[in-house]
Amino acid sequence: MGKADDVTVLLLMVILLGLSAWAFHSGRRQALVLSNGRARTLHSLPEYYGFYLALCCATPALGGFVVWAVFEQQIIEWFTIAAISPGVRLDDPAKLDLLLNDIRNLANGNIISRAVDPDLQAAADYYLGLRDLSFVALAAGMLALSGAGVVLGWVNLKPAFRARAWVEHFVHFVMIGCSVIAVLTTFGIVMSLLFESLRFFQMVSPIEFFFGLEWSPQTALRDDQVASSGRFGAVPLFAGTLLISLIAMCIAAPVGLMAAIYMAEYAPVRLRAVAKPMLEILAGIPTVVYGFFAALTVAPLFREWGAAGGFLISSESALAAGIVMGIMIIPFVSSLSDDVITAVPHSLRDGSFGLGATKSETIRKVVIPAALPGIVGGLLLAMSRAIGETMIVVMAAGLAANLTANPFQAVTTVTVQIVTLLIGDQEFDSAKTLAAFALGLLLFCTTLVLNVIALYVVNKYRERYD
Amino acid sequence: MTDRSTKSAKVAASLRRRHAAERRFRLYGMGAVAFALACLGLLFFTVVSKGYTAFQQTYVKLPIYFDAGDIDPKNSGDPKVWAKANYQGMAKKSLRGLFPDVKKRRDKRALYKLASSGAAYELRAIVRENPDLVGTTTDVWVTADDDVDMFIKGYIRGDVAENERRISNKEMAWIEALVADGRLEKRFNTTFFSAGDSREPELAGVWGAAAGSFFTLLVTLALAFPIGVAAAIYLEEFAPKNKLTQVIEININNLAAVPSIVFGLLGLAVFLNFIGMPRSAPLVGGVVLALMTLPTIIIAGRAAIKSVPPSIREAALGLGASRSQVVFHHVLPLAMPGVLTGTIIGMAQALGETAPLLMIGMVAFIVDIPGGFTDPATVLPVQIYLWADSPERAFVERTSAAIMVLLGFLIMMNLTAVWLRKKFERRW
Amino acid sequence: MHKRTLMLATLAAFTFGDHAIARDQIRIVGSSTVYPFATTVAEQFGKSTGFKTPVVESTGSGGGLKLFCSGVGVEHPDITNASRRIKKSEVEKCHKNGVTSVTEIKVGYDGIVMANSKASAVMTITRKQIFLALAKDVPGPDGKLIANPNKTWRDVDANLPNVKIEVLGPPPTSGTRDAFAELALEGGCKKFPAIKAMKKKNKKSYKAVCHSIREDGAYVEAGENDVLIVRKLEANPNAFGVFGYSFLDQNSDKVQGSLIEGKKPTFENIAEGAYPVSRPLYFYVKNAHVGSVPGIKEYLAEFTADKAWGEEGYLTDKGLIPMPEAERNKFKTDAAAFNNLSM
Repeated sequence: MGKADDVTVLLLMVILLGLSAWAFHSGRRQALVLSNGRARTLHSLPEYYGFYLALCCATPALGGFVVWAVFEQQIIEWFTIAAISPGVRLDDPAKLDLLLNDIRNLANGNIISRAVDPDLQAAADYYLGLRDLSFVALAAGMLALSGAGVVLGWVNLKPAFRARAWVEHFVHFVMIGCSVIAVLTTFGIVMSLLFESLRFFQMVSPIEFFFGLEWSPQTALRDDQVASSGRFGAVPLFAGTLLISLIAMCIAAPVGLMAAIYMAEYAPVRLRAVAKPMLEILAGIPTVVYGFFAALTVAPLFREWGAAGGFLISSESALAAGIVMGIMIIPFVSSLSDDVITAVPHSLRDGSFGLGATKSETIRKVVIPAALPGIVGGLLLAMSRAIGETMIVVMAAGLAANLTANPFQAVTTVTVQIVTLLIGDQEFDSAKTLAAFALGLLLFCTTLVLNVIALYVVNKYRERYD
Repeated sequence: MTDRSTKSAKVAASLRRRHAAERRFRLYGMGAVAFALACLGLLFFTVVSKGYTAFQQTYVKLPIYFDAGDIDPKNSGDPKVWAKANYQGMAKKSLRGLFPDVKKRRDKRALYKLASSGAAYELRAIVRENPDLVGTTTDVWVTADDDVDMFIKGYIRGDVAENERRISNKEMAWIEALVADGRLEKRFNTTFFSAGDSREPELAGVWGAAAGSFFTLLVTLALAFPIGVAAAIYLEEFAPKNKLTQVIEININNLAAVPSIVFGLLGLAVFLNFIGMPRSAPLVGGVVLALMTLPTIIIAGRAAIKSVPPSIREAALGLGASRSQVVFHHVLPLAMPGVLTGTIIGMAQALGETAPLLMIGMVAFIVDIPGGFTDPATVLPVQIYLWADSPERAFVERTSAAIMVLLGFLIMMNLTAVWLRKKFERRW
Repeated sequence: MHKRTLMLATLAAFTFGDHAIARDQIRIVGSSTVYPFATTVAEQFGKSTGFKTPVVESTGSGGGLKLFCSGVGVEHPDITNASRRIKKSEVEKCHKNGVTSVTEIKVGYDGIVMANSKASAVMTITRKQIFLALAKDVPGPDGKLIANPNKTWRDVDANLPNVKIEVLGPPPTSGTRDAFAELALEGGCKKFPAIKAMKKKNKKSYKAVCHSIREDGAYVEAGENDVLIVRKLEANPNAFGVFGYSFLDQNSDKVQGSLIEGKKPTFENIAEGAYPVSRPLYFYVKNAHVGSVPGIKEYLAEFTADKAWGEEGYLTDKGLIPMPEAERNKFKTDAAAFNNLSM
């Protein structure tokens, strides 16, 4: 959409806003007029009559705009194609599309790919004319719709009219719509991943993808190019992801848990007041910063230590990425565990103390077992976070799909491969690009399962003592 | 007697052991907290120690002769003609004048490289602002090359073998001569805060990325805040307890834990390929980030609304208010600080997010400062990612400095959230 | 169609449908080898003229040409960089999609180097040895083709070090890969008379033998990002990397180039053509976009000016090896006139 069109649309919106304001004002006044100055006789407060009329004014016009925005292009193009002189007309749909593209660009004062012949120019002029017409139609239509809305609303405007109920219902539906957006997002994610993945599985068999031990997603671009044959076995990627996540959990689980216990049970109030927000800062640091930290500080450090100790540590070792990722998820583990530990009722502790147990014994033998399901849920949630984490591994882990359990070697992860397959790539017909979506789907499903289990466990547990 | 004393000795020993275990356990806890805080400290220390030098940049003072014959040969007085003059040549001439004994071609080229290639544009800007300078010789501070900058800041060490550093002995001698002359000094790096990306580290800045972040976040806020608040109100106050509501609730909780890169895939498949929105545009980035932060805002909003005590609702209902009036006149204003806190935290998350933006073409070389929602743009975290991958040594300190800028924004946002919470927090 | 409409309806609130958006800056895609040059020129161009600075994305030569040839119009790039010449199949694809007029501009030369970390010794190698080390199938003792059995460099030639063969190189989207296969592998492959004889009989299988790179792990595809390769070489002194000379030049403090056929990869050797594995760099301009996307003409003028690609131009600082003056002038006229490329 050109800048001029944007301005036109903006202007229309401003006019509509003004009209609605006017409708609000006159609706409120009319309500008072109808009640002969005795507002008591009205069903609702006068403002509600104003809101009612303003909504009557704005909603149909906005609806009309949405319909216009969706169908305008298609209708105009349909008309243009119908009107193109047979000399230029082409039956091949692909060529027709190109022709339309030229017409559009010519009309926009843009680039075009062929010499401008009079027929094409005529088509472009026609197209432009249609676009102008459609804008006029839009403006007229929106005005007419809002006018009609106001008139219809006006007719209903009586002291007995339940304006408040009407407005409240309206707001209610808008709010339902907003809540449904979250569901639509999930739906969109699943659909976009599913469709592209299905296309991928038409090219590569799911058996190879799920059980293949080799990942080298490079395929030939041209017929006359000799390139790798392209192997799409996702096992090394998942092994790498798991290795890094496990290393991360080895750091995050003990440290996070102990930190949570200390904060919840031992820490003096002052320390807690300082340390807790500091830990939260750790959670708020952008992952790209952790990536930078891992790639430029931690990884070279490990390499040097390795060299000093006489064994080779790859500069993209799983260890560096895993440890930094572990640091990143410490606050997740600690804040979730903190919640469940404090939720354990005091009577349990008091009972244990009464039997002569020390504090640490109480914690280890009573509090932790009682809080265990919640803690496990928290750990699962942290694990899902680690699996889906992208920037740290993109910057610090490698691209080589090694199937290894050696943390000193470079491994690659699902997220790294998604990023490498898609950066700069805009074509949507090669197995290579589509593989990213299949990986995305797999990642989504894995984390979804972990999340569902974790959320279920955490919620179930939280309720038990409430 | 002896039996009892051995028993009490046993008890005492076991008590000692148990107390030692207690102290150990406590120590582990302290150790864990200390470890986490040490990591935080180390992270900040690394970033700051690597990055603080980028706030200064080496400049070199060159006596420039603004030759009227070069700048405006036909005496037209037309700024367009002036803009096209060979300012690079003037800088080169000036350097030759400072070191007249450099004769060999190769050496000359090395000499010219002391000043940044951006010096020409700085000279052009000077002439544009002060046309009176034409025809005079004036001392002008221009940006020095990144290698010179690195040497002055001590990142390129002079005491290693010549072929292992990027500054040769000759260049070192020139730099030392310039320093002795007072012609070379470090000053505050304004370019870093006012320029867009560049291939030359000394000309690169974060302003372009900051503007991109601003536009992106504006879109995110405009979408996520109203939708998030409306959804939170509905789910907390109006939603009937049925299957649909349950589905929505579970769905939102799950969405909050979906890896961010998946949102990038959604953006690529739906917004770019399906709808055909432009690549690298803040508009698309903003929409994707809005979808990503929506669950955070909804969850925080619900918590805030829930914390408003039922007595307020009951009182309002008792006075004859409708459900909507109760919510919009009483509950929402009281819950607003909490809702705003959640929104700010969600925005902070969006500001630091990188992975989904990689998928929608925001990793490109973009020099111009974006001026709108559809201009190609990049954002601060993506800029950090790009710079971290650049081979030039000088980009390391700039990456760290960009991180400091980003963290500055984030901490500011978080402090605002904390302040809001403190200021408006009410205990019921 | 129905699905599309449905989706659009839900999103129309914040997008106004799929209108073609007017574009006022150049979009460049393509080779990561040409990327540093293209971005430098783009930046100079943006600063010294009133035009907006072009947006450059690095997608690899093959990927770039694919995008470039996908059609005419604002949503397609205007220029693509390539570290090899456009192939006939690609020209045909361009034509099929309506991209009928393309200007070809040679930028300069670039050597392909095999480099390793400075921590280990410099290697001297021939093209034949490279072929034996990296090809998928090599002639066995009886002259018949067998799957490459060589595990270490010593297996290839007794004079080479006893180190595992591990070469990090670019993927098939990269022009460097194509050029490396063509110049180094095929160059070595031709040294076998039996294979050379095949060229006349069966060109296709000749090509398949000479251009196939082994996939058993000795050759590691390391992505388009050359910085990463350099970083990996630093970490692993036994590994070799394949990338452009300009990258070697920028990282000469970390890695060193191997001598191929006794020639060191230096500026002079490549410029003179003595270094055997060097190739020209190109970029391609969509003529249909000229005049409509503002600035293409001026961008070409900036690129082809002597201050950029000349012997002392700023691109040589970035590692470009300039063409001789006569060749430069030829492409300069091509650029000014937008001569359509002829294969």
